[in-house]
Amino acid sequence: MPQNLSSERLGAPVNVTWEITDHCNLGCRHCLSADLRRESGGELDRERCETLIDELAALQVFQINFGGGEPFLRPDFMDILRYAQTKGIVTCVSTNGTMLTPELVDELVGMELLFLQVSLDGAQAATNDAIRGEGTFERILEGVSLLSRRSFPDLSLNMVVTSVNFEEIGEFHRLADSFGARTRLSRFRPSGDGSRMWEQYRLSRDQLAWLSGFLGENPGILTGDSFFSLTNADRQTQGLRTCGAARMTCAVGPDGSVFPCAFLCDPAFLAGNVVEESLGAIFENALIMRTLRDLEVEPCQTCDRFSLCNGGCPAVAYFVTDSLGLPDPECLRVAIPGPGIPGPGIPAPGTPVAEHLSAPERAEVA
Amino acid sequence: MKTYHLAPWARARQERFGLLFYDTRSTTMTFVRSGDRLVAPPFDDRAVPLRVVTRSPAEELRVIRVLDGLEAKGLVVAAEPE
Ligand code: SF4
Ligand code: SF4
Repeated sequence: MPQNLSSERLGAPVNVTWEITDHCNLGCRHCLSADLRRESGGELDRERCETLIDELAALQVFQINFGGGEPFLRPDFMDILRYAQTKGIVTCVSTNGTMLTPELVDELVGMELLFLQVSLDGAQAATNDAIRGEGTFERILEGVSLLSRRSFPDLSLNMVVTSVNFEEIGEFHRLADSFGARTRLSRFRPSGDGSRMWEQYRLSRDQLAWLSGFLGENPGILTGDSFFSLTNADRQTQGLRTCGAARMTCAVGPDGSVFPCAFLCDPAFLAGNVVEESLGAIFENALIMRTLRDLEVEPCQTCDRFSLCNGGCPAVAYFVTDSLGLPDPECLRVAIPGPGIPGPGIPAPGTPVAEHLSAPERAEVA
Repeated sequence: MKTYHLAPWARARQERFGLLFYDTRSTTMTFVRSGDRLVAPPFDDRAVPLRVVTRSPAEELRVIRVLDGLEAKGLVVAAEPE
């Protein structure tokens, strides 16, 4: 029977996250792509976008996750989306939902190979609006209602789980359900503006532990493998159990810059630009891609959960500890220490690493 | 031997270890350690059947078992020989 070989080295990414525009009509406080958009050297024009899609099809990339900014602000976005679909590539669009009109929804409903993910950061207007901006709750749900009324089939509502909306997870799940949408919970990571909000928004150990149990009990909730560092036994057969950056995925910025993943878009992780070099060559050869592929999280090797999370998310580890090759500071063994675990090498979330490691283990640092 | 085609919603690509399948309905992947014994159709011509390259009856049996598993997952569709 087919086996799970997800740690195998692949010849090309399976999916590519493409922040297709640097424009956005909202200013969410935790925007992961805020820095990328600020530093972007413009946008690829439509012809260049189509060339990139041709290349992704030639590489046999299965899926493109379009994000931004807000993709639907780009006047030619629907053409680009259609072009990718004609190549047989599955398209997932992450949108803030505020640009959805009846006409646009009519077009989207007719598309095959399309998944839509609408961001909403709470089940209550006050909670969401405190993060995504005044009045956005209502505007987002208007867009969601349009999709729901037209029975758009592959719809999910996505909430980035923070200390602010944590209490509303159950209510959010029911809200999504009432629109015929699946619930998607994403991990809050200290990337982009998220790094500025880290102390305020990150989850406590108790919240991490609770979330691990909740996800185990609710296998139908989508996470995009965000929370594999918290995976408990109930969920261990689902999804990936290791970081996909530079192995299964990579990210393309609005100007064509390539990074190992959408959460590793710091200049230190710049791998190349598709205007100058093919994405396939960048993925295969760039030093930072090879570094991440070979990354071993040394202090984790003796942990009882290593096979479940392989050290967790290097993006969180990097932005919190300033170093690659250290454990994810929000892993389950930090939230619920096991017998003899964590070892001395595992810092508490947010604690400067140097205070916890007598001899800091530093693997290849970008 | 039956022939096997990719299901209309399935994709497959060749990797060093064998085949990597992708289900467009759920966006899930299936890794198959088939080495060079199963050859995926071209990405842009999914009508071509999967090619089975085996060197012994025992190997053929193993590959058929894998294909049956993939059929149960809805990733390939089997057709009886004409
Ligand atoms: S120490 Fe934490 S990050 Fe490392 S493998 Fe164990 S659970 Fe995962
Ligand atoms: S760096 Fe983190 S967010 Fe990016 S693919 Fe790896 S685990 Fe996922």
